[in-house]
Amino acid sequence: MWRFLSTRILMGVLTIWITTILVTLLIHAVPGDPVQIMYAQSQGTTPEQIEEVRRSLGLDRPIPVQYAMFMERLVQGDLGNTIRGGQPVLDVIMQRLPNTLVLACAAMFIAVLIGVPIGFLAAYRKGSLTDITLMIIAIAGISMPHFWLGLVLLFFFAVELGWLPVSGNGWLNLVLPALTLGLSNAAIFARLTRSSMIDVMNQDYVQTALAKGLPRALVLRRHVLRAGLLPVVTMMGLQFAFMMGGAIVVENIFSWNGVGRMAVEAIFQRDYPIIQGFILTFSVVVVLVAITIDALYAVLDPRIRRS
Amino acid sequence: MTALLSVTDLSVVIGSKTLVDKVSFDLASGEVLSIVGESGSGKSMTAKALMGLLPPKVNASGRAMFDGMDLLATGVQPPRGTGIGLIFQEPMTALTPVLTIGLQLTEALVSHGICNAGEAQRRAIAMLDRVGIPSPEDRMRQYPHELSGGMRQRVVIAMMMLLDPRILIADEPTTALDVTVQAQILDLLREIVTDTQIGLILITHDMGVVAEMADNVLVMKSGKAEEFGAVQRIFAAPEADYTTTLLDAVPRIDASTSRKPALTEPLLKVGGINKTFAKRGVIFSKAARHKALDDVSLTIHRGETLALVGESGSGKTTVGRVIARLTEADTGTVTLNDTDLLALSGRELQDKRRAVQMIFQDPYASLDPRHTVGSTIAEPLIIHQNLSKSERSEQVHELLEKVGLSADMAQRYPHEFSGGQRQRIAIARAIAAKPLLVVADEPTSALDVSIQAKVLDLLESLKRSEDLTLLFISHDLAVVRQIADRVAVMRNGRILELGPSAELFANPRHPYTRALIDVAPVPDPTRKRGKRPVLKGDYPTGPLSEIGPGHWVAT
Repeated sequence: MWRFLSTRILMGVLTIWITTILVTLLIHAVPGDPVQIMYAQSQGTTPEQIEEVRRSLGLDRPIPVQYAMFMERLVQGDLGNTIRGGQPVLDVIMQRLPNTLVLACAAMFIAVLIGVPIGFLAAYRKGSLTDITLMIIAIAGISMPHFWLGLVLLFFFAVELGWLPVSGNGWLNLVLPALTLGLSNAAIFARLTRSSMIDVMNQDYVQTALAKGLPRALVLRRHVLRAGLLPVVTMMGLQFAFMMGGAIVVENIFSWNGVGRMAVEAIFQRDYPIIQGFILTFSVVVVLVAITIDALYAVLDPRIRRS
Repeated sequence: MTALLSVTDLSVVIGSKTLVDKVSFDLASGEVLSIVGESGSGKSMTAKALMGLLPPKVNASGRAMFDGMDLLATGVQPPRGTGIGLIFQEPMTALTPVLTIGLQLTEALVSHGICNAGEAQRRAIAMLDRVGIPSPEDRMRQYPHELSGGMRQRVVIAMMMLLDPRILIADEPTTALDVTVQAQILDLLREIVTDTQIGLILITHDMGVVAEMADNVLVMKSGKAEEFGAVQRIFAAPEADYTTTLLDAVPRIDASTSRKPALTEPLLKVGGINKTFAKRGVIFSKAARHKALDDVSLTIHRGETLALVGESGSGKTTVGRVIARLTEADTGTVTLNDTDLLALSGRELQDKRRAVQMIFQDPYASLDPRHTVGSTIAEPLIIHQNLSKSERSEQVHELLEKVGLSADMAQRYPHEFSGGQRQRIAIARAIAAKPLLVVADEPTSALDVSIQAKVLDLLESLKRSEDLTLLFISHDLAVVRQIADRVAVMRNGRILELGPSAELFANPRHPYTRALIDVAPVPDPTRKRGKRPVLKGDYPTGPLSEIGPGHWVAT
């Protein structure tokens, strides 16, 4: 198992390293002079000031040197300073990252809590009216865009009923964005759980367990659920990355003060250090989640754990 | 003696389709009843109906009296586990992969309230010991994937026997196992029946296993019982025509053979092939390696059928794949007409590899479901010959007729054909390129016996009409005896014995060859049953030396 995990960790480090290269190149991928574009909207910037910014960003050096400088600062935990306000990028991101993580985790919790039981029930009653109804709802859920679902929820629960606050950063404020993000993912989990459970229920080992005379509930709980959840665990890892992405949209709808909202603002303001830091942070989070999921997988599946 | 289980008019239906049609039989204590039939005969459905394990929407009717109750009556829950146990074909999938052996053995004892967890643990260890599993305490903590197929089947048998059932239903319990392992499992089942006087229902397609094990036989075809009777009577004087057909189709390892190896010039020479596979390679770490072929050399003569025989992991398939260059050998040569096929590359290889064509085991996997049969067969023609479109389709039609299908089938897709027909299509594709050598890798293992016989006949007649040489890879000695001129026996990547078929079967010289021949079930119930000698300890694996004309044995 340690070999399995160390391979995964190595792959993760490789992924992050590639991201650092892409992040350095990013600023040059935009057509035109990045600093010119940055200051295009602000009046009265002198050429000296622009030159100063260019120098401070290191853009006057060759790209390999820029990369070396970037990496040198990075290993010291320095992601540079924001263009607007001149604060350390790392501090700005770290201030907001917990909000986004809380949102994504809450959404994941909702998705699994709703999706897995629904999928299990649909599989158990395969072909019945319950199954068909649940799966139609699930398809509808997958098809619904975040922004639309978010606006509908906002309209009913915050505006019409007034049960929940429209925006802000408290525990009550978490409910609507987490639901928005969680519900459509619940639909994905429901469908995956259903097909995975149906697959397992047809396996010989489930028939064997029944042939031993075990009660159906015990067979489902012990033999079906655990084996059937393995693909769901894999999916959790993939979906977490998507949820972090989805958070960018949802945070903006609900004015949730997370890194997603920060990133969108930074993009509009061409605040490259923040964008770079955001992408890098994002990739680190995704890689960490993937490794955690792999570890979880190894715990659940003895075929990986004991090989 | 009163019957332990008495089944009358058992029918299984799904919608308007009848899967099992009014089947009746009795089973007594200490008796082995074989239900024999080919795929689709309804033999497995019969077992599932008795267990109350039919899939949803499949319904059973009739009467099955066991222990004073009718198992098929509505509202009756068959006494699963405690009354009747069930063993499946595939020991690889019959145990839950994520749970320990120990838990799976003990859970039913606890759940039925037979004993507490500690006592269950003790009983499970004793039972593992009873079914011949070494160091049972350690096994209890292991997971299924850590055990071999034979060991797993023993675990499943132990799991069922722990509940002390009065009837055990075994659905093809040895079909997925190697023949030497099969013999051990059959011995174990026979011992259990004698010791515990349970009734065993043994579902199988293998007449050899039937003859080896059964007291009574129920022959089924398309859901109907063709005949029911004592095993000696069924084999000696079958009443139903189908039984006769079935028995005639079974290849026999004890059949007489008049085959003489053709004394022709060598067609293909395999010299010193070595092949090592990396086991689950992980980057940056020295992975464990597995030697699949160890210095394999042999010569195939023009017009002969050479059989490669061995159990799983013997390397027989790898030899075939190396010759067809589907697997690259580490070292060695494959010489055909003075050309080393292994040294070729690019254009040259494409030209020459036409001479060697393959037929694979599973005709469901070897035909592309998205291509019509016609275009599948035409593909080798497009690559290797310059033909106009109409000439090509004419050739395809000709090929289809050669393999016993009709020309108008060219437009259809593989899923419209049965397994036997698909294998004929795969054969047509193989001979389309006009090869010199056809490598057939277990071409009949996935087929029913009656179909197998026809496909073997087809190969035989094509060999003559198309002037082919055949390398026939198989685990089944009886089939090999029927089709091969010469036989090479392989184990663990080495050839242990090679000789003319008649000579090798009559006078096997290597202990492993002898063991293989001894353990193969023979469809003759009058033969003495019981434990067969199993190969133990060391046996020679050194270089081959000639002990008779063309008969080579490892020393």
